[in-house]
Amino acid sequence: MNATVLQVGVLLFTLGLGMVVLRGQLLAMLLGIELMVGAVNVILTYHANLFGDPKALAAVVLIICVAAAEAVLGLCLILKLHHGGIPAETESLAELRD
Amino acid sequence: MGLPLSAILLFAAPVAALLAAFFLVRPFKPGWTHWPILASCAVVTAASVDLAAKVYAGSVFDVPVCAWMAAGNWMVSFGVRLDGIGVAVLTMVCVVGSLIHVYAAGYMRSDPCFSRFFLSFHLFFLMMIGMLVSNNYVQFYLFWEGVGLSSYLLIGFWTHKPAARSAALQAFITNRVGDLGFLIAILMLLGFYGDTRFGLLFDAMGSQPAPLLPLIGLMLFVAAATKSAQFPLYFWLPDAMEGPTPVSALMHAATMVTAGIFLLARSWPLIAAVPQLPTLIAAVGGGTAIFAGLLACCQTDLKRILAYSTVSHLGLMALALGLGRVGVAVLHLLMHGFFKAVLFLCAGNIAHGIGKSTAHVAEVGGLRRSMPMTMACFVAAALSLAGIWPTAGFFSKDAVIEAGLEAGPVWAAMALTAAALGAFYIVRMLLLAFYGPGSGQKPGHAHEAPPQMGAPVLFLALGALSAGWLAPGIGRLLACGRMPSEEALALPHFSWTVFALGTAAAALGAVAAYVLTVGRPDFEWTWRREYPRAASLIETDLGWRKVVAAAAFVVRRLSDLVGDLLDHRCWDGLIESLPRATLPLGGAVSLTSGRLSDHLWWIVSGAALMLLAALI
Amino acid sequence: MRELAFYFVGAGAIVFSLGMLVQRSLYAAAVCLLMALLQTAVMLSLAGSPLVGCIQLIVSAGGVMVLVVVAIMAAPSQAKAMWARFAVPKPLAAAGVLVLAAELLALITLPGLSGGVPPAGALDAKVGAVLFGSYAVATEAAALVLFLAALAVVGQEENDFMKRRGVSPHGCFPLAACGTRPGRGGGK
Repeated sequence: MNATVLQVGVLLFTLGLGMVVLRGQLLAMLLGIELMVGAVNVILTYHANLFGDPKALAAVVLIICVAAAEAVLGLCLILKLHHGGIPAETESLAELRD
Repeated sequence: MGLPLSAILLFAAPVAALLAAFFLVRPFKPGWTHWPILASCAVVTAASVDLAAKVYAGSVFDVPVCAWMAAGNWMVSFGVRLDGIGVAVLTMVCVVGSLIHVYAAGYMRSDPCFSRFFLSFHLFFLMMIGMLVSNNYVQFYLFWEGVGLSSYLLIGFWTHKPAARSAALQAFITNRVGDLGFLIAILMLLGFYGDTRFGLLFDAMGSQPAPLLPLIGLMLFVAAATKSAQFPLYFWLPDAMEGPTPVSALMHAATMVTAGIFLLARSWPLIAAVPQLPTLIAAVGGGTAIFAGLLACCQTDLKRILAYSTVSHLGLMALALGLGRVGVAVLHLLMHGFFKAVLFLCAGNIAHGIGKSTAHVAEVGGLRRSMPMTMACFVAAALSLAGIWPTAGFFSKDAVIEAGLEAGPVWAAMALTAAALGAFYIVRMLLLAFYGPGSGQKPGHAHEAPPQMGAPVLFLALGALSAGWLAPGIGRLLACGRMPSEEALALPHFSWTVFALGTAAAALGAVAAYVLTVGRPDFEWTWRREYPRAASLIETDLGWRKVVAAAAFVVRRLSDLVGDLLDHRCWDGLIESLPRATLPLGGAVSLTSGRLSDHLWWIVSGAALMLLAALI
Repeated sequence: MRELAFYFVGAGAIVFSLGMLVQRSLYAAAVCLLMALLQTAVMLSLAGSPLVGCIQLIVSAGGVMVLVVVAIMAAPSQAKAMWARFAVPKPLAAAGVLVLAAELLALITLPGLSGGVPPAGALDAKVGAVLFGSYAVATEAAALVLFLAALAVVGQEENDFMKRRGVSPHGCFPLAACGTRPGRGGGK
């Protein structure tokens, strides 16, 4: 089961990474990040239960919490961009502002 | 063993004089530049005589002063070597040089660049002294180059004259060819032996001869042949007469051009170790002697006659050297210094007397009435050149003829022909300048030289007459130092055969000159019209100058071609095509595009690479 | 038994994630991700913590994903190309990620990993004690972060969503009441 968990976790993580790196829309990147966080959580919970460590489990809860907050902030940024008329894509966001 | 004080003074006095003259005297009173320099000349002459006495008494010095460069297993040091040959030539150079300095103070008095002249002149003097007392090849080369530089400065002294400028450049560049040979030889010696000090080098060479020793010897000969104006590369010397007369007298008669012979004498153990090289040297020397003697007979400018005569005598020195008689060559070098200097200074007096910088035979004639002292000195030196009995030149020329006789009939014939030609051209010059005036000459009147210019000539003429009596002493002096070898340095004994042959050759030449100058007075002025082809041949040095000009042309075109091809097209093209190659490359792989995707991808790839390192 | 379920659910999660990766429309991608996160929640409970599974379900799948979907609908992307543009050619870009995946997979096939199905729900009871015990500061910090995120949302002046509904951003009263033209609200 350990091998399965690790493999599934790695695959989900790299799929999320692929989503972040290969797609050019900021929203897609957010989706990828969510997936990555989820994969990491799976692996961490499994091992926390395996070794009987409640602290790791607590860490998982905190991770979920922070990931949620980060997703909200990312969405706010994307909406701000949208209001400013800048498309939320990596191509248009290639330069710093003056 | 430390350096004697005189050796230190040899360098210290000229350096101090030059610095004082340049920094202290020249800015304020340029007309007094010669005083510190003349004082230095006196000091140097006294020092050289003292050193000669020391060496004659038996002490030879080869003292390193400081290490100049060293790396790995090779080393170049700065040192002083005082042995027989060096000190003998040094004494001649110092005596003749000092007297010519005095002469020049009078000759160049009215020149606006008086102080520059004296500074350059004394710089040459310093370089020549340095060269004569060097104890290794690299230091020798340093001063050799210094002498070449001073020659350039002094030949082109009158910078407003284009002929002088081009003659200076020609001299410098032609000597560069020889210097290249010298450099190659030195580099090879350094490479094989690691230390080019004469004392150590020849011993090491005896025990383990270097590979390519013939090449080294040949390169040294190339260097000597260029500096001492042997046949292929002699043409810079007649053209160097554009310089002022003291320059011609000192450098291109007595001292600088003998540097090549001196180099060969110093390197004799190396030269003798190469099988055919001495024969080559003798052949080139003999050929040059005859060739230049022939050309000297037909020149019309007084200084050019003397220049070709110098080339001829240098050829005689090389002939003697190549036949294995180093002592004879050095003896002739010493005697030649005296009488040739006198001849040049007399020509200078004549030119000064008629108010020009050099005298053409058409402008002089019948000067015996107005310049008696000059004529007396000239006659003394002419007798010396022709090799008539009690004069100095007799001893050395007879020694050369004897060396030729010992070596074989061909060499003897060469030596005798050169002797006859020498007598011819000098008697011709004597008769044309002082007797007459001939039909093609203006009746000459020239005022006699002032005492400042006359006295040095007188002293030198006395030397030209009497120095020969010191020949046995000189022979003993040369043998001190035991380098090269006793038998090479030995001077021949007197023999009646040689005396007869030499005097006969000289008489033949003199009579022929008399016949063609005084007996048929118009011949001098009409032969060019009667034999135009011969005249044009003589003009171009029997065609050699045309060859040289063609070679120079070819070299220039070649260098232009190479410059255009290699430098402009290849190298510049390479440099300029680099942006053409790199700009698209940069555009293609824009690592810093600013795009988030690229940056993310680089993070991922970097992590992948690092994990690869962890996995492997 | 649990292992089998884990295989099944894991496979489902991977399938949905792949689908998310290759969807052209972001809305579809978001829905795929929602499904994948549901699978993840199940995986979490199968891994021995139903509590964490429920938290993941509520927060991640229920809260964050809904927000994401709403945001996708509110700010549609005008992207013409699905994939990002790279300075290196695209296969190389994909290869970079694939190589990383391969290496990670290779890394985890290390010997000595013990297998074992952990007991269910054994640790959940202790989580609370840790969260408000030794990780109290961390919990406070996480709460603060959530609060800041909420502030960020509220602080948006030009909330287009609100405007389009004719609601002023400062409160839930119609825009017409503060003097703006009534025609603006409610219309597009």
